[in-house]
Amino acid sequence: MPLALVVVAEIAARSSEMTSDTLAAPTDIVLAGIRALGNGTILAATGQTLATALGGLGLGLGIGLVFGILLGIFPIADKLMEFSVEAFRPIPSVALLPIAMLVFGFGYRMEISIVAFGTMWPILILTRAAVAGIEPRLLEVSRVLGLGLLARVFKIVLPAALPRIFVAFRLAAGVALIVAVTVEIAANPLGLGYAIMSAQQSLDPALMFALLVWIGLIGWVLNWGLVWAQGRLFGRAAVVEAAQ
Amino acid sequence: MTAVDIRPRAPVSAPSTTPLIAFDRVDLTLGGRKILEGIDLTIGQGEFVCVVGPSGCGKTTMLRLIAGLFQPSAGRVTYQGKPIAKPRQDIAIVFQDYGKALLPWRTVSGNVALALEAIGIPKAQHGDRIGGLLAKVGLAKHADKYPNQLSGGMQQRLQIARCLAQEPAVLLMDEPFGALDAMTRQGLQDEVLDIVGQSGATVFFVTHDLEEAIYLGDRVIGLLPNPGRVAESFPVGLVRPRDQLATREEPEFLRLRRVLFDFIKAAEA
Amino acid sequence: MTVARLAWFAGSLVVGALIILGWQWIADAKLVSPVFLPGPDRAWAALVRGFASGTLEEKLFGTVERMVYGWLLASLVGIALGAVIGISAVARAYLAPMLEFLRPLPASAIIPVAIALLGLSEGMVLAVIAFGALWPMLLATIHGFAAVEPRLYEVSRALGLSRWSVIWKIALPSALPDILSGMRLGLTIALILAVVGEMLASRDGLGLWILLAARSFRAPDLFAGVIVLGLLGFVSAMILTVVEHRLLRWRATR
Repeated sequence: MPLALVVVAEIAARSSEMTSDTLAAPTDIVLAGIRALGNGTILAATGQTLATALGGLGLGLGIGLVFGILLGIFPIADKLMEFSVEAFRPIPSVALLPIAMLVFGFGYRMEISIVAFGTMWPILILTRAAVAGIEPRLLEVSRVLGLGLLARVFKIVLPAALPRIFVAFRLAAGVALIVAVTVEIAANPLGLGYAIMSAQQSLDPALMFALLVWIGLIGWVLNWGLVWAQGRLFGRAAVVEAAQ
Repeated sequence: MTAVDIRPRAPVSAPSTTPLIAFDRVDLTLGGRKILEGIDLTIGQGEFVCVVGPSGCGKTTMLRLIAGLFQPSAGRVTYQGKPIAKPRQDIAIVFQDYGKALLPWRTVSGNVALALEAIGIPKAQHGDRIGGLLAKVGLAKHADKYPNQLSGGMQQRLQIARCLAQEPAVLLMDEPFGALDAMTRQGLQDEVLDIVGQSGATVFFVTHDLEEAIYLGDRVIGLLPNPGRVAESFPVGLVRPRDQLATREEPEFLRLRRVLFDFIKAAEA
Repeated sequence: MTVARLAWFAGSLVVGALIILGWQWIADAKLVSPVFLPGPDRAWAALVRGFASGTLEEKLFGTVERMVYGWLLASLVGIALGAVIGISAVARAYLAPMLEFLRPLPASAIIPVAIALLGLSEGMVLAVIAFGALWPMLLATIHGFAAVEPRLYEVSRALGLSRWSVIWKIALPSALPDILSGMRLGLTIALILAVVGEMLASRDGLGLWILLAARSFRAPDLFAGVIVLGLLGFVSAMILTVVEHRLLRWRATR
């Protein structure tokens, strides 16, 4: 079915015999993609995008985990922070773009900060739920054993909540890539988003579509890899549960 | 063992002998596996037939054939002499898993209304008919609740009410009380007997509870598994109306209980 | 329950106020350059000024209009298409692999394509919003329709419901929880893409307004705009929650 679409597009593009600024034949797209892969531009841009996405994800993961665990362990803190969390969470991450631009200018730091903000929330919210949902008996055990806060977090809470935290991580990784590409398209002269924007502006539709497919491929591989890792680490059950 | 059977029998509440549903040398193969083989069975108008048998004997499959949800691979299943090609509105089914068979997003009256909508009864008449049906199954006070606010027994009552809304000539009941506790089950058994007594509907009742089969039925059909076959037909010689205490203490009841128990044990072996 | 909950909520409001006080203190002490971080007082003043002069209102309206139209378009297409695909097992088998491949594609990546096709126009922004918001709704609707309890289909056959009745009375309500959660996700995406679209295509709205404010170093205006965007996200999510509670009343009651 998708194959048939590609063939139809190819025939349509060939038979119309015109050079378009907006569309390109599938073969041209593939050629442009191979060319850009060959001269390293795609790989360099991919490296930039992935670096910022991962950097932001790491930062967001750290902040989200710390707050998520704290709010999950201490229901009082959770209730007291309710308003503040609900007030900050709905701010769309791209709305911070101008602020980050003002503070950091263009470049990695600005993009990383936005990715961190975008990924922090799903991790915080899901970690909080995961920690709050830990079997109460386990926490009683840790109290009976007289474990300190840190020991409790590292020996009981984290291992028990890990499968669900990984789900949060997988979700956040998808968000990280999306936010990174979006920031690059909107403003930041870096990475794949910028590359695809400049391909459009220099009226090179073949390269533009090649980059689009490439971005899709990266997103798919990332998602697939994380699902696979999740299955390996936590078994089929975790994947099924996460899908719901 | 069979010595009990000397005394004169109580008169059988004679079902009319007009045949309504007939299995005529029916085979059914599903996914390469033979589920039913050579089923021959005639069910009379107004008869209450209970079907028992070990698991995998095709009890539910027979019910689905009458419902028109399955078609036989060989032979015919007829209703009033004509083959059953698809589900008919005058044949209603009560499923065992009431939780899945009710619409959770509709209230109690909304669920009954679904059947009325299906028949095409004008909205103006819904109120009265739903009220009457809910009163009949004892849910009148719960008309505006949602199914998940009801107990299991009440949910099953609701499903029965929805089936009655179809004004069925035939009620197919697939282990309808299997998931309920004993007290609720007995209450519902009597309600079903009442309702059927009033409407004169023909009932095909699948159960794994032998006492339930004897208590309710005019006749109990015993099936054998792999592939499902009709092994024996046991007429139930118990007077109606039946009574949870008295009927269950009658020698005929105890005799049938023994016979059916031996049958199932042999069938499972 | 309600009194205790109210007390806790009041407590969380106090904490929120403390955070704002902390923000004020940081700004007053000039721990961060006021070029970047205006105090809440200046942000509030900018907010009031913006609404008093009507400009902020106008920008807000532009963004809301864009977001809602794109989202409605996506809902319509996503639910209709999702219903068709979800009901037919054949269509599912054909299309599901392709949809699964397209799903992780960042919606913003099609912005350049949309610009190439439609130029820097209002239509382009709408198309991008609709495209981005379409996916969660489409996938959720497909899942919802595919996951209808099979027993209910048997019930409707036994009752003799028409095909149309089955879709309208059985499948759609049964898929509604999934559809609504898809619409919720779609709304978040619609807001993000509305902001990005405005920035790129210079369409009048909050996104462009905060970008221009940043470029001309009007930090109070910038923060006012971000606050309004946050409120917009909050309010739209609230409205959906209310709608969800009403439509899914049967779920909560127990």
